[in-house]
Formats: sequence, structure tokens, C-alpha cells
Amino acid sequence: MSLFFLRRLLQLIPTFMFILVVVFVLVRLLPGDPTSAILGDRAKDADVARINHDLGLDRSIPVQFLLFLKSVATGDLGTSIQLKLPVTSLIAQRLPVTVMLTVMSALMAVAMAVPLAFVAALRRDDAADSVIRGAFQVGLSMPVFYLGLILLTVFGARLGWFPVGGYGDGFLDHLYHLFLPAFSLALSLAAILMRNLRASIIGVVGAEYVVFARSKGIAPRVILLRHVLRSALISTVALFGLSIGTLLGGAVITETVFAIPGAGRLMIDSIYGRDYPVVQGMTMALAVLVSLTFFLTDIVAAWLDPRVAR
Amino acid sequence: MKIASLAALAAAFLVSGSIAGHATDRGGVMTYGRYADSLFLDPVLNDANVDIWILSNIYDTLLLPTDDGQGVQAGLATEWKVSDDGMTVTLKLRQGIRFSDGSPITPDDVIWSLKRAAKPDNGIWGFLVSAIKDITGAADGTIVITLNRADPSIIPALSVFNTAIMPQKLFEAMPGATDADKAKAFAEHPVGSGPFMFASWERGATMKLVKNPYYWAMGDDGKPLPYLDGVTFEVIPDDATRILRMQSGELDGAEFIPYARVAELKAAAGIDMQLYPSTKIEYVTLNVRPQVEGKDNPLSNPKVRQALNYATNKEAIIQIVTMGVGTPMKSFMSSATPLNSGKGPLYPFDLAKAKALMTEAGYPNGFPINLLVLAGNQDETGIGTALQQMWAAVGVKLELQQVDNASRTDLYRTGKFSMRLGAWTDDIADPSEITSYFAYSPTIESQHSGWKSAEADKLFEATQGERDPAKRAAQYAKIQDIHNADGPMVFLYESPYPVALSKKVKGFIQIPLGNNIFRATSLTK
Repeated sequence: MSLFFLRRLLQLIPTFMFILVVVFVLVRLLPGDPTSAILGDRAKDADVARINHDLGLDRSIPVQFLLFLKSVATGDLGTSIQLKLPVTSLIAQRLPVTVMLTVMSALMAVAMAVPLAFVAALRRDDAADSVIRGAFQVGLSMPVFYLGLILLTVFGARLGWFPVGGYGDGFLDHLYHLFLPAFSLALSLAAILMRNLRASIIGVVGAEYVVFARSKGIAPRVILLRHVLRSALISTVALFGLSIGTLLGGAVITETVFAIPGAGRLMIDSIYGRDYPVVQGMTMALAVLVSLTFFLTDIVAAWLDPRVAR
Repeated sequence: MKIASLAALAAAFLVSGSIAGHATDRGGVMTYGRYADSLFLDPVLNDANVDIWILSNIYDTLLLPTDDGQGVQAGLATEWKVSDDGMTVTLKLRQGIRFSDGSPITPDDVIWSLKRAAKPDNGIWGFLVSAIKDITGAADGTIVITLNRADPSIIPALSVFNTAIMPQKLFEAMPGATDADKAKAFAEHPVGSGPFMFASWERGATMKLVKNPYYWAMGDDGKPLPYLDGVTFEVIPDDATRILRMQSGELDGAEFIPYARVAELKAAAGIDMQLYPSTKIEYVTLNVRPQVEGKDNPLSNPKVRQALNYATNKEAIIQIVTMGVGTPMKSFMSSATPLNSGKGPLYPFDLAKAKALMTEAGYPNGFPINLLVLAGNQDETGIGTALQQMWAAVGVKLELQQVDNASRTDLYRTGKFSMRLGAWTDDIADPSEITSYFAYSPTIESQHSGWKSAEADKLFEATQGERDPAKRAAQYAKIQDIHNADGPMVFLYESPYPVALSKKVKGFIQIPLGNNIFRATSLTK
């Protein structure tokens, strides 16, 4: 098992290197440069040339890449061209917001999906199953921004239960502000997880070892938790890990609709603004985050099914 | 008798109470929803409207733009005079003025700030004060600016954001070796002498300004402005969410209301939907070079440009895109720009004339061409689609090419475009800025269109030193005639700034230059 840990950890290094190169090149392949984006239509040629020089953008791409590698090695991700702030401090400000939003929605999705999957699977094809699957189907088919606006209108503006967007001050206030956005993100993930888990449970419940356990007279609750859930969860955990990337992608739209100052919005603004250092730094940070999630899901999967680690 | 006198006394109280009710209320924090956050709060080195339009609340200038955006009024300077030869400006600083940290504003601060603004290669706004040669100051607060040419726009230039007066000592004490490095540190917690002072900034979310206790201007109650205790800017990029927060009462004001929602908010209880006159114009820039990317370019023919102008039904576009709140353009500069000489709407819709001009130009069956449109921008897509239909009537097959802003700027700057949609707002209460970009070819080849009129260039150079206001107005009128007749533009519309305010808000204004002015804003209790 510990060898498996180590192997997975070492695999992360080339992954990061690859991402580093790809992002550096891709962002420079986009038409337009930071100077065009910052100065806009009014830029005069002399201004553009001067600012390109100040930013080091008049050097060759390989030289820029070497300088970039050198600064990354020293932990310096550069300074934002648009915001004039160190990228590391921007990541420190913005990433936790998105992480909190993602974690909240992941927890909500699991909290909704697991119990309801059991109900739907064990009452397969009766009214409860249909209602649960139907409701989630709606959640799955509704675009996040539309669902978000409906939630904001009903629970924010009309009923006044939640704030109409924003992030608030202090940890508890953040949680309160993030409830609706996390919920709107969670719904589609919950739908996917629920459908997957329901199908797995149906498969496992009919398996011979479960029938055998039942014939031994083991209490149904124990059978469900110890024998059914553990086996049924294996594919769902893998799916959950993969969905975290999607969840982070969905955060971009959610952060815009709910006016949350997260990493997703910063990323979009930086891509539009060709803010190379921020795009590079944020992509790296998000890549680390997603890789860590995959790593953790692998560990959980290995725990659920030791064959994975072999 | 006793009862009567008591009643009289009570009535007197009521009267005095109601009089007091009319005085402007003090206190309260106004929450204002913005579509995007500021980027960099340095008056000289910034380059975006998200900074420019709020800077004047933190930083003060020697002169202030008037509310109609057409002139100037006293700011940190109480008197200003241009010498008879136009080569010297003498100003008198207001007595006892202080920065928001309590330190006095000295002539040295003024000299240093103006020199920093005028320094070539420092930011992109230096051209507005390029006439400044030297500045001297005396202990009694007299400031003398000597010029290298008699620049008629120097007075309005002293009310533009980049000439804001900054605390030299504080700035220079910032960490960093260069001006740019110090500016980065300073702009994180800027200190100026505007009506408000910077308190905190959570990037992408909230910026808090609080009342500057040292602000010099007086309110109608004889006490110093501002009336508000503070202004909090909330960044809410999504239009629908911004409006929702306005409707739920969480905001006292919200900018950039989409035109499609203006009528609804006008009818909403508790909301005062304002359309502030602006210098904003929308237009199509045409590349008029004989060849574009190796191919012959029909737009190089002035008759084709005129035909497209006649084939454009501006009223219809105004209805479709601005829901009727826009107005047709009378010149390439907005109606709110000083010395606009437009008499009536340019190129009233006339399809017969358009067809005749196309035939005269040798394009009786039109031609295919493409238009750069900002991807995801509703207004631009709306205009593009409308033009597609309108120009089809003269045989022009318009293809919309959706690009993002940086790509568009790149294509535009390198001349690899046929047409693009554009918008412009002035930064100075003077026609020189827009004219230098639109009609004077050395600046950026007349909006990168390649259009050049030797006469317009000569006239513009003449305006730069013309001290006789009547002659200057005539020069500008002539430039406008030349440009409007065969310039590189299809004229679309002028549009106001749509701002939703709570009915409690009084005294707020967004001036035609775009500046959001909170200095005399109050919240009714």
C-alpha cells in the first residue's frame, strides 16, 4: 500500500511539468497580448513597445520560458500584469474561496446522493424511485447559471433567507453566503452520483455474497452498510474524483452569477486580459488541487477495494 | 390663550422640524454595485475605466470637471489664470488643504504630482499634459505652470484624473526602486485628498471608502462634505444578480443596467432609474486602406462608406439595442463634447441614396465583408445582426466574426480587419482627445483605419496652439465636417449611462466623462 502511495505521488511530478509547459505555450498562442488587453484600443505604438519591454514580452519565447522556470523554482510565480499583485498572493486570496465552494458543494452532493440512491435502489421502480430520479434529472438538465438565478430570486430576493450573492465577512458568514451557490453546483453532481450509486447498489444487492449474508440472518442495516455500500461505492468514488474537475469548472459560472471573488472568476478575467503570469500560476494551483483530489480518491478507492493498490 | 400659544409653539416646532427635514441628511454608507472591480488605483499609471471612473473620489485635482462635463470648477486650486500669450498658467492653492492622512498639501506635492503626470513614458496619459514644460511653486500657494506651447486644453487637463495631487513624501517612502514599483505599493493603500479615503479592498468583491475628515468643500449645512460616512463598492459582474440585489434593497445604486431592463426599473417602486448624459458613442470603424491583407478593399472608396452610412437605419438600431434611450450621432464626437458642431443627425436612413452611391462606386451588387464583434457581448451582437440585414439591401454580405477583446485589439492595431464595432468615452472636457484619435492621423492612424486627411491633420495641429476660442471652434467645426463627410466611420448612436439608484439616494451623479461623483451624495433617512 505504501509503495502504491509513493508511486502515485511520483507520478504527479511529470504531470505538473507537462502542465507547466502546456500552459506556458498555450496562453501565448492566443491571439493578442497582455499589452493589447490592458491598453485597449487607445494604445499608441510607442506605449505598446515600452510596456512590452517592461514586461519582458519582447524577449524570445524560450528565454521567457527559462526565466519562468527559474522563478517557479524559487517559488515566485511572477506579478499579475493587470492587478500588479504577486500571483502567489492572488492565489492565496482567491483559491481558498473556490476550494470552500467546491468542498461545500461536494459535501452537499454526497449528502443528497448517498441516502437517496439507497432509497431509489431499494424501492426500485416504485413512486419514490421515480420522484427522486425525476427531480435529479431536472437538476442535471438545468444550466447552473439559470438554476443559480432562480435560487437567488426565490430564496434571496423574495424570501430573504439568503443574501443575494456576495461572499460576506468571516468564516460563518462565508458559509452562509456560499450556501446557495454550493447548492446550485451540488445538484448536478448529486444527480450523477445518485444515478451511478443507485445502479451499483442494484447490482450489488443481487450479488451472491449479499444473498448469502442475508441467509445467515445478518441484520439488513449491517448488510447494507458493511457489504453493499462498500462495494457499490467503488465506482462512485472514482466518478466523484473525476467530477471535482468539472465542479471547479462550474465554479467559474457560479462565481460570476453569485458575485463570489473566487479563483474561477479571476482565471476568466486573466485569460481575457492575457495576464500570462496569473493564468500560469492559477492553472498550476488548480492542477495541484485536482491532482491531489485524484490522489485522495485513489487512496480511498484502494481502501475500499485493496485490489486497486496491487 | 394658553392652549393657543402651546398650539402655536407646537406648530413652530413642526415647521422647524420640517425645515430641518429638507436639509441634506448626513451619515450612512452607500453601497454601490459595480460590474467589474478596479485594477490599479494609481492616477498616472492606470489604464482602465474601472479605475478612472472612481479615482476622483479618492484623489483630488487642482480643478474639477463641472457636472455637465463641459467645463471646470475650483478644486484644490481656487483661482486659475492663463497668461495673455498662453504660455503660463498661474493657480492659487486653497488655504489649509490636507491629504486624508492629515498632512498638509504643499506646493511641492503639486509640482511633483504634475511632473510625474507629464513625464513621457510614464503611463499612457502623458499626452494630455504634454504641453507642460516646468512648474514652480511659492510658499503662499501660488503655482506657476510654464508651457512649451500655448495649449488651449491645459485648463481642462488640470481636472483630469492623471493630474491628481498625491502626497510626494508618502509615495517616495514606499518600498521599491522605481516609480512603477513604488506605485504598486502605494496603490494598495492610496492616500489622496478626495472626499473619501481608501479603507479596505477585498479584490474582486468589495472596496470600502470612508469619509475624508479633511475634505475642503462645504455642504449646504455649512459643514464639510461629504454627507456620507462612506461608500462601499460591491463587485457583481452578472447584470441580473446586480439588479436583483438592487431590487432586494441590498444595494443603494447599481451601474451599467442593461438597456433592456431600464423600462422595468423605471416602473419599480423605490428605484430611481437614471440615464446620465454621457460622451459615449457607438460606431463602426472602417479600414479604408486600398488593400486589406492583400485584397482590394471596397471601403477605401468614400462613396461606399457614405452608402453604408445611408443604408444604416440608426433609429431602428437605437430601438433594438438601446430600447430607444440612445440618440443618433451628429458628429464623430458626442453631443456632450465641447465644440461639437453637429447640426442634425448624420446620414439619415435613405436606401435609394445608398443604392445610388454603391452603383456610382462601382458596386451595384455589393460585396462580401466581415465585421469584428466582441464575443458574448449582447449589444454588439445585436448591432451586428441588424447591420447584416440592413446592408443586405445594398448587396453587402456581412459576416460577423466573433472575437474576444485582446484578439480584436490585436487585429485592429495591426490593420488586419475590415470593420469593427467600437465605443468611446472622453476623458477630458475638451475635443482634443477624441479628435487626436479619430481625425488626426499621426496618433493612431485615425482609429487604425488608415484614413488620413492632410487638411484635418493641419487643422488639428493649428488647434493645439489656438488661443482665440472662436477660431478654435471654427477649426474644430471644419475637422468635423471633413471627417463626417468621408471619414472611416459608420455612425451609430450616442447613449447615456444607465444607473439604478435607491430613491433614498440624493445628489449622486455620473458626469458625461464617466466619473462617479459621490462627494455631495446623501442617503435620506
